[in-house]
Amino acid sequence: MSTRQIEKSSSDSSEEVVTNPRGIPKVQFVENVEEYMSKTSSTIEVTLGKFQETVAKYKFMELNYTNRKKGLELKIPEIKKTLTVVEFLISTQDSDESIETTFELNDTLWAAAKIKSTKTVYLWLGANVMLEYELQEAKELLETKLTTAQNTLNCVVEDLEFMREQITTMEVNIARVYNWDVKRRRVAKTTEKKLDMVE
Amino acid sequence: MRMINQDEEVEAEVTWEDQQNINSFSKLNVKFSDIEERYGEKKQEDEYLDDLLQELEQQELLGDEGELVRYKIGDAFISITLEDAVQRTKREKEFLSEELKKLRNGMDSLTTEMEKLKVLLYGKFGKAINLEKD
Repeated sequence: MSTRQIEKSSSDSSEEVVTNPRGIPKVQFVENVEEYMSKTSSTIEVTLGKFQETVAKYKFMELNYTNRKKGLELKIPEIKKTLTVVEFLISTQDSDESIETTFELNDTLWAAAKIKSTKTVYLWLGANVMLEYELQEAKELLETKLTTAQNTLNCVVEDLEFMREQITTMEVNIARVYNWDVKRRRVAKTTEKKLDMVE
Repeated sequence: MRMINQDEEVEAEVTWEDQQNINSFSKLNVKFSDIEERYGEKKQEDEYLDDLLQELEQQELLGDEGELVRYKIGDAFISITLEDAVQRTKREKEFLSEELKKLRNGMDSLTTEMEKLKVLLYGKFGKAINLEKD
């Protein structure tokens, strides 16, 4: 996955925000907890809170993208279905025989019809607009739509994977900062006890 | 999640490289489940087509070749000859086997990649990490 970098507009340091190709920021991995904690001025609680907030943000975005994915996964078979019908119509367009069909007139209501072989179809474009196309044109349009939808789906899947990674990184960060704190407290406690004993 | 016992606390530092391996593993895992689900659906579809083909061929044997069947194309049923129906079903099956093969290959390559990462991560973190599906 290629990454691009955006110069942070805010004044602080030369820190850059690395993002994925569609501008989703990458989180920072805490390599050394000790060092990280000594550098920030915030307390453990604030740091953990900040990390948790980041996780929540990514999770929210993840939910959005999951819905988008579901939508596309419904849309793609729909386009494919329409495409099959157009292809069928193309295969019969030069024949004089009419097409016998049983079609859904309404939900659970079917009727029989004979259709003369046709050279044009009407495609529903959305927003209450329907347009007449020649079969070949309709096929091409649907094919383009199908590729676009598939590409978008691939991007969404890639973004979801990327977000998953960021969430995992952040969750590990949280666990490590937390464990570091527990250990530190434990050490502090034992030294305190020892001091008591000395006194 | 279980609490880590004080004595068995492993002192393995998580490096950026480890983290990236963990991330990849988690990513591959999600990908795998995704493909697995799709594979199941397609497999089911393939079985349906098998049944359909059997049924159609039986009709053919009965000598009804010229007979029209209502074949679903898109959302409507279209009357086509038995012969055409068999042909269409066969073509659809070919498409499907191709897709199933692709999914199968995808799953296989993901499994190999995941096994590699498992060896790496278990080697370093031992019991401190759990990479099995529950």
